[in-house]
Amino acid sequence: MRSYRALIRATARAALAYRLNLLLGLGAVLVQLIALLAVWQVILAQSPVNGFTWPQMRAYLLVAFAAGTVVSLMGDFRMAFRILDGDVALDLVKPIDYQRARFAEAIGGLWIEVVLIAVVVGVTLALTGGVDVPAGPGLALFIASMLLLVPLKFLIVYVSTLACFWTQNFMGVQWARLAVVNLFSGALIPLAFLPGWLATTAQWSPFAGLTSTPALIFLGRVDPGHGLVLVGVQLAWVLALWFGARLVWQAALRRLTVNGG
Amino acid sequence: MRTVRLYFRLLGAHFRSLLEYEADFLILAAATVLMQVVNIVFLAALFAKVPALNGWTFWSVLMMFGAVALAEGVGSLFFDGMWSLAWQINRGQLDYFLVRPYPVALQSSSAAIGINGLSNIIMGAIMIGTALAHVDVAWTPWLALLGVVLLISSVVIKVSINLATNAVSFWLASPTPMFAFAMHQVGDLARFPLTIYPLALKAALGVVLPFAFIGFFPIAFLLDTGQSRWIGLLTPLVAAYCAGAAILIFKRGLRRYESAGN
Repeated sequence: MRSYRALIRATARAALAYRLNLLLGLGAVLVQLIALLAVWQVILAQSPVNGFTWPQMRAYLLVAFAAGTVVSLMGDFRMAFRILDGDVALDLVKPIDYQRARFAEAIGGLWIEVVLIAVVVGVTLALTGGVDVPAGPGLALFIASMLLLVPLKFLIVYVSTLACFWTQNFMGVQWARLAVVNLFSGALIPLAFLPGWLATTAQWSPFAGLTSTPALIFLGRVDPGHGLVLVGVQLAWVLALWFGARLVWQAALRRLTVNGG
Repeated sequence: MRTVRLYFRLLGAHFRSLLEYEADFLILAAATVLMQVVNIVFLAALFAKVPALNGWTFWSVLMMFGAVALAEGVGSLFFDGMWSLAWQINRGQLDYFLVRPYPVALQSSSAAIGINGLSNIIMGAIMIGTALAHVDVAWTPWLALLGVVLLISSVVIKVSINLATNAVSFWLASPTPMFAFAMHQVGDLARFPLTIYPLALKAALGVVLPFAFIGFFPIAFLLDTGQSRWIGLLTPLVAAYCAGAAILIFKRGLRRYESAGN
């Protein structure tokens, strides 16, 4: 456990050194926030759509932004390059678990992401007006959902990065993941807007936990009972992916060839 | 003519090396197609519930997304090397370019080929084509010709902005094109009608970095949507201005270039 805590501290200190990666990752999410805020402000100025009012949609988009920013610093690029270069061999000889070590790094980077989220959310609220914070049980569920979002997002990024054991093209894998997550998580548009079958698929997929679940709980669009089920689905996916990732990792190791040097 | 022929030979060399990695090529192509499909699903889901966005219907916004995809695609497929300019400067690779009898900017931009551009061009063309089939435009030969001129201009604008923002690397000396990439992302804002944004963003996207001339203004003119449609007619002028400015910035920057030394 001590070594993982040391990794968390080291990444937390190094976080500022990787601010370039962070900004590049943040840029796309921020641009999407600005564009969608502008789009919905115009549309919802006339009347609510699908039961979403402007203050609600604004809160939804801010939760989506926060969810999109968390765990973007983790350095999936670094992990990908280490696999592609064969430097991953050095990680293998260390007496710590690879998956836990990467998770520790993801947690270490959280603080700077939280700071950035606070700044952007603060500026947006100052410019466009406040949001209603849900009452007791809703708030507790929302916080639980946001906390589960961290391992969930880490695992989705981690598993997709392991694809580097099979392909040289990390860029393509990353783009595909971003596109799928953007749609199925509800970050681009709330799942209620999608056709029924697509919305249901997305709802039960691991991706819904990346935006839709915390956002709908925050808005109070699901009652506490239903919210509890959604958070349960999130938790189930975290556990499934955590052990699933280990299987992928074992299969990946069998493919690993590192040229000596 | 010789310049153009040589340019395609330079690109062709990269294309052949790319074909070596067939699976990578397919993954990248599939990923870009997926991104555009997600965009289309998003727009379809949005406009299923909302008739129009400031007068812009599903088909007209789809056409704007298509125009941006097409312009980006041309930028990646034929001029992807621009994105490695920062790296080339940082590593002193321009030394080689400077001693060859061929424009330095073109040598830089032909230093890579982004095959994802091909799928973006195809998807962009499909989006524009489908949208055009569903909108009501009184086509005359002159209007069709004008449409082609506007399309070429919008591509020139995107490529010029890429060159200009990447040439800023001559001053920034960073090995990655952070500034250019950030501006490229800002350009994604211009896929929506400019009228939805606050004044400062309108000025930024319409004047400072005229991303709005890639899709919004020319399409507003063609489809007769919104106010001040005549601005769309300025697109070729804006394209000429952007190309001129980009070449000027690149030349100015090149004068600052110092070799990394060996």
